[in-house]
Amino acid sequence: MAPSATVLSPARGFRAELLRRGGGDAARCFQCATCSSVCDLTTSESAFPRRQMLWAQWGLADRLAGDPSIWLCHQCNDCTARCPRDASPGDAMQVIRALVIEHLGAPGFVARLVGRARTTWPVLLGAPIVFWALYIGLVSGFAVPRTPLVYADLVPVWMIYSVFLPAGAFTLLAAFVGARRTWRAWGEASPRSGGLLAGLAGIVADVLVHRRFQRCEAARPRKNGHLLLLWGFLGALLTTTLLGIQMDVFGLKTPLPQGHYIKLIGNASAVLLVVGLALLVANRTRGQGAGRTRAFDAFFLTLVAMVVLSGVGAELGRLFLPPAAALALYVVHLGTVLSLFLTFPFSKFAHALYRTLAMAHERLASERRPS
Amino acid sequence: MDRVGVFLCTGCDIGSSLDAAKLEGLARSGGAVHVESSPCLCAPDGVASIRKAVDAQTVDGVVVAACSQRHKIEEFRLDPTVAQVERVALREQAVWSHPPKHEDTQALAEDLLRMGVVRAKKMIPAKRCAETLEQTVLVVGGGLAGLQAAQAAADMGNPVVLVESSPALGGWLAGVRELVPSVPPYDRLQPSPLPDLVRSVGADPRVRVLVQSRVSRVSGQPGKFAVEVTGPQGKTEEFAAGAIVQATGARPYDASKLAHLGHGASPDVVTSADLDAMLARGALARPSDGKRPGRIVFVQCAGSRDAGHLPYCSSECCGTSLRQVMAVSKAWPDVECAVLYRDLRAPGHGEHFYRAVQEKSTVMLARGTVEGVTASGGRLSVRMKDSLLGERVEIEADLVVLAVGMVPNSADGEAIRQLRDARKRIEKNESETQRKAAEEVAAALAHHDGTAILNLTYRQGPDLPVLQHGFPDSHFICFPYETRRTGIYTAGALRAPMDPAQAAEDGWGAAMKAVQVISSLERGEAVHPRSGDFACADFFLNRCTQCKRCTEECPFGTIDEDEKGTPFYNPNRCRRCAICMGACPERIISYADYSVDAVASMIKEIEVPDETEEKPRILALLCENDAYPALDDAAMKRATWNPWVRVVPVRCLGSVNVVWVAESLSRGIDGVILIGCKRGDDYQCHFVKGSELAHKRLENIQETLTRLSLEAERVRVLELARNELDRIPVLFDEFAEKLEELGANPLKGF
Repeated sequence: MAPSATVLSPARGFRAELLRRGGGDAARCFQCATCSSVCDLTTSESAFPRRQMLWAQWGLADRLAGDPSIWLCHQCNDCTARCPRDASPGDAMQVIRALVIEHLGAPGFVARLVGRARTTWPVLLGAPIVFWALYIGLVSGFAVPRTPLVYADLVPVWMIYSVFLPAGAFTLLAAFVGARRTWRAWGEASPRSGGLLAGLAGIVADVLVHRRFQRCEAARPRKNGHLLLLWGFLGALLTTTLLGIQMDVFGLKTPLPQGHYIKLIGNASAVLLVVGLALLVANRTRGQGAGRTRAFDAFFLTLVAMVVLSGVGAELGRLFLPPAAALALYVVHLGTVLSLFLTFPFSKFAHALYRTLAMAHERLASERRPS
Repeated sequence: MDRVGVFLCTGCDIGSSLDAAKLEGLARSGGAVHVESSPCLCAPDGVASIRKAVDAQTVDGVVVAACSQRHKIEEFRLDPTVAQVERVALREQAVWSHPPKHEDTQALAEDLLRMGVVRAKKMIPAKRCAETLEQTVLVVGGGLAGLQAAQAAADMGNPVVLVESSPALGGWLAGVRELVPSVPPYDRLQPSPLPDLVRSVGADPRVRVLVQSRVSRVSGQPGKFAVEVTGPQGKTEEFAAGAIVQATGARPYDASKLAHLGHGASPDVVTSADLDAMLARGALARPSDGKRPGRIVFVQCAGSRDAGHLPYCSSECCGTSLRQVMAVSKAWPDVECAVLYRDLRAPGHGEHFYRAVQEKSTVMLARGTVEGVTASGGRLSVRMKDSLLGERVEIEADLVVLAVGMVPNSADGEAIRQLRDARKRIEKNESETQRKAAEEVAAALAHHDGTAILNLTYRQGPDLPVLQHGFPDSHFICFPYETRRTGIYTAGALRAPMDPAQAAEDGWGAAMKAVQVISSLERGEAVHPRSGDFACADFFLNRCTQCKRCTEECPFGTIDEDEKGTPFYNPNRCRRCAICMGACPERIISYADYSVDAVASMIKEIEVPDETEEKPRILALLCENDAYPALDDAAMKRATWNPWVRVVPVRCLGSVNVVWVAESLSRGIDGVILIGCKRGDDYQCHFVKGSELAHKRLENIQETLTRLSLEAERVRVLELARNELDRIPVLFDEFAEKLEELGANPLKGF
């Protein structure tokens, strides 16, 4: 009797999808492992991206979905720069991540909707904006805003909560489902030495200074933009949290005076976001080791840009623009933030979740391994 | 030659290293009628002095005591029907490789000069036998290589007869519409040149096409082959041909021997040739149910590179599979193709095509070793181990294509001859044991019965001798298309496994050789590797004992024999290697400029000092094709070697008559070293068998030496490649050390 063997179905499904999404270069890979050799992030225990290239060729979607290594890749593109066959392993890994995010996302139809952002982007961006325009219009009776413009008059806090609390809950639930699925699968494949919190504690410093990203060569210019964006997002998160506490618990009223400490944190975050964003966009347009820009990247970057620019625009517009124009910017801001929330578990944004988990997993798993 | 003149060059350090006056005196006392020195013999003045002496009929034998025979060839070339030239390589053998003004160097030079003078004396004027010969080229086989050969020969102005056994021209590629690309950008299929070629050759008035025909007899020799062809209904016709191109191609390996790969278990396991036939019909359908397969799995190296089947790589099956994958994906873009290979070989520009195939979304090229193919319920399953995934995998398939290798359509002429001989012995039934032995041989060779293709009337068998794996190949770099039958050249997959582009090129190459051999023979000259040599072998048949060694051992089947076994020499088949001369125990075979006597006389001229002088002597017989040029190059690089060595270049190690070895040792020479080309399957011997024969003959002589209470180690036979010049001094030194160990030759002074 022949030993048991893995039954393979080459080419169908996954591979066709890989090709459609722009990862078709992977077919050129002939497994020389130059990519793994030049990668500064790969680990000796599970070297990537050579193995992932092979799995992608064979269309082994389940193996890729259950592989934490794909998240440890920061798409430095050192591999792509040195690949002798122009198989673009960096790009392939990105497309693989996009497909895995879609694969893990629940509910599936939302995942597919976001996954096909190349065609669905007008809906993904437009629908939340239209929703907010209609919602605010209906509540305020389509009144023309007066000067001085006070956003809280037109959009009271309850309206914000009425939308973002359910949206946040949906996002958290969807992210939780995906995260739990992968965390469990990874744990079964390679046992960990401790729990999630221990793992996160072990990597938080790495993440906050982008110690891994620093090791990239081809994509080192991208690291600064990415780091600023991360700090900007964390600052925005802090701003929102502080504001919520101050308003709900201590009855703070908006607009805040320009010298208020929350205002200062918010503005500082905005500056980080704008500069980070500018660096990343410049990086991509100059093609400095960012890899090819697919819909997966373009949609997320556009969304972030719209959130940041409309936010800054609404803040400044309140002071310097006609009220109607400022309000329009505010509506765009609210809409894109809603889109950012809702698409988080299904868009490129999800890498924040999965990469963090994968780094934590790797830390815990490597502690378990006999050295 | 009666009137030997010695022309001594004192340039290139010769004059400053040697005592030229002494050499001149030596030449005179050696019997030279004319002795002359020149500071630069190859300069116009020097050359003119030689020509002047020849023109004035002062001399008819010229000893050029200067540089090696491999240099200044044009300057020192004379018409050998008027005067023969002997080159004495003082520069390479003495001056550049030994210390100047040294008594041992001088003694070496003196030996060389005496040897040259005596050899010149022993030469006779050569006779040129030019004649008008048949220009027709016979091409056997109407596949791509044969068609191309026919067209090429016709384009060069030779009439052609093309014989094809099947009813139509085209061969295996007849139904294949598109081939692997041979022009940039090498990434798409290109139309096969075959249909145009079939049309143009068929319509060419210079080419007579005989289909459904076979060659039933070829007798004679190049330039005047008498060919008999048997056509449909047994009708025979005869015509003359000057040269023959055999392009009988190859056939796919018998897939019925590949049961482990599912052949026979399911009709849906087919060969590449079966798939080509399917594609030619434009119908991609499973033989079992006529449905279009969803996934085709190609199994590469099916029965190839496998000791139990074909041990070699056919080099074109990968290209064929890639071509078929491309054709399938072009016509049926939804059909998946997986190619499972051990090593995918896409030489040359094939790499571009391989990459183009690889980028198809429905194509998977995967490495691994296919262990087996099983069929159950209409589905096929291909099991593969050693995949890059690091595990055993199984791939389901609707159609499995076995990419089988190529088996040459050759006939083993020597085996057929042995079979016929054995049957004759059985018939004769001279003794019980002899009959039994013959019966065993006949049984072992029975499968060669009826395989003859050319039906040569040669003594050595009716077809070309084969080399490895049944291919009548030749050394693939140095002498492509050559076979061991002069005037008969092989082209295409018969010669070696190859792809269509190579086969077409082969047709051209073999046709050029065929045209060349006819024109060379018309001038009375030999072909490769002694191109231009027109001195034929001379047989002094009065003393022949009909031992048949010459007829047996000639690598080229030059010599037939009559009823009694007397050799019949066919000069146009001869390559002038003198292997017959080395074989002949009666020493009755000689050439105008090369004979047993001439070399033996040279050996006699080597001065053997007394044992007390402690100056041993070593005779080195070096093959002119590789070892001697390597020695020249070593000297050119100023390598130094043992001063006791006396080098005599020989045409081929196979031309060495054992008498020379015996003569040397009986004269007190301490040892004889023979250096020839590499032998065996990957031989580099320019006469194919010479080096091998020399080894065999000298093994025999070593037994004789032992009987004479001489150490067998005094004779050493070695192989050397052309580029191993650094090894030569080492080989000489090692041999000298061994001889020192053995002590002086006890026959010294007798």
